[in-house]
Amino acid sequence: MHEASIALSLVEVVQDVLRENGGTRVSALTVRLGQWSAVVPEALHAAFPAAAQGTPLQGAHLSIVRVPGVGECSQHGPVTLELTRGLRCPVCGAPTPRLLQGDELELDEVEIVPSILAAELSRTRPAMAEEEP
Amino acid sequence: MTINEPAPRIVTVRQNILKANDHTAAENRRMFEAAGVRAINLASSPGAGKTALLERTLRDLAAAVRMAVAVGDLATDNDAARLRQWGAQAEQIVTGTICHLDASMVQHVLPRFELPDLDVLFLENVGNLVCPSSYDLGEAARAVLISTTEGEDKPLKYPTMFNTADVVVITKMDIAEAVEFDLALCRENIDRARPGVPVIELSSKKGTGLEAWYSFVRGEHP
Repeated sequence: MHEASIALSLVEVVQDVLRENGGTRVSALTVRLGQWSAVVPEALHAAFPAAAQGTPLQGAHLSIVRVPGVGECSQHGPVTLELTRGLRCPVCGAPTPRLLQGDELELDEVEIVPSILAAELSRTRPAMAEEEP
Repeated sequence: MTINEPAPRIVTVRQNILKANDHTAAENRRMFEAAGVRAINLASSPGAGKTALLERTLRDLAAAVRMAVAVGDLATDNDAARLRQWGAQAEQIVTGTICHLDASMVQHVLPRFELPDLDVLFLENVGNLVCPSSYDLGEAARAVLISTTEGEDKPLKYPTMFNTADVVVITKMDIAEAVEFDLALCRENIDRARPGVPVIELSSKKGTGLEAWYSFVRGEHP
């Protein structure tokens, strides 16, 4: 299981987002996990709090959205795949070599608490924009 | 006096969680390409015969191909020692508690090799069919091994690993009959996990089926 490594990478990526957006801490985040990503949502949930400890993500609520596998069948177009059948159209059994979705290991959204300065700037920014010629 | 915390806001990111690894893998790939080295990532469950296949390969191709190995294990440098017997440079990456190689571990060990003097660098992954699938090392090609002593349904149980394979190698074919290995079923399951992937059947011990593997190593096949 490599969910501990994944959780540590996740915390790093989110901290980058936090820095870029001038936030102080993260209150929630959403991750999209494809069925073909080889990452187990329960294990990631279990690993996350330890990875977040002592970082601005500590205590953040992690939501995991599971993304089913979708392949393209030459007869039936995009079809939702069943993991146990492999990359085969569930209707006709034809191979669907390419995954259209389902391999996601993706940070989707982050709910950040802005720093007071950043919040102040975003509040005053419209007024500054009006002053421009 | 309390200062009210500003209201949270939602930032849409849509970014790969392993982007740092992918970035490092891209750097490795550029280094390999610049040096003209073909890097091959070998993955399988423990005991499928990665090291045995590499030993045989180092022995058979020594005169024609300049090869070296970076091998990952949680502990010990037994594999590196086994591989060095055949005269090739083998560097052990001890991963500690980590169950896979990642791009930065490979990058860390690369300065120990004279890359321009090599044709092929094998990256022997930690024996594991789950975690290595997520980590690009910067390799040119990925080989996934399955031995005849494992279940024929391994490709269906570990679809992600097999789905990232450029070639699937069935090892220990010399004992297939003794362990009642169903080759047709295994090949069907491989094709379900990765439709159209080339499959090589071989025995490192008896030396059968190695030509197809060697042309893959040299980059001629698939």
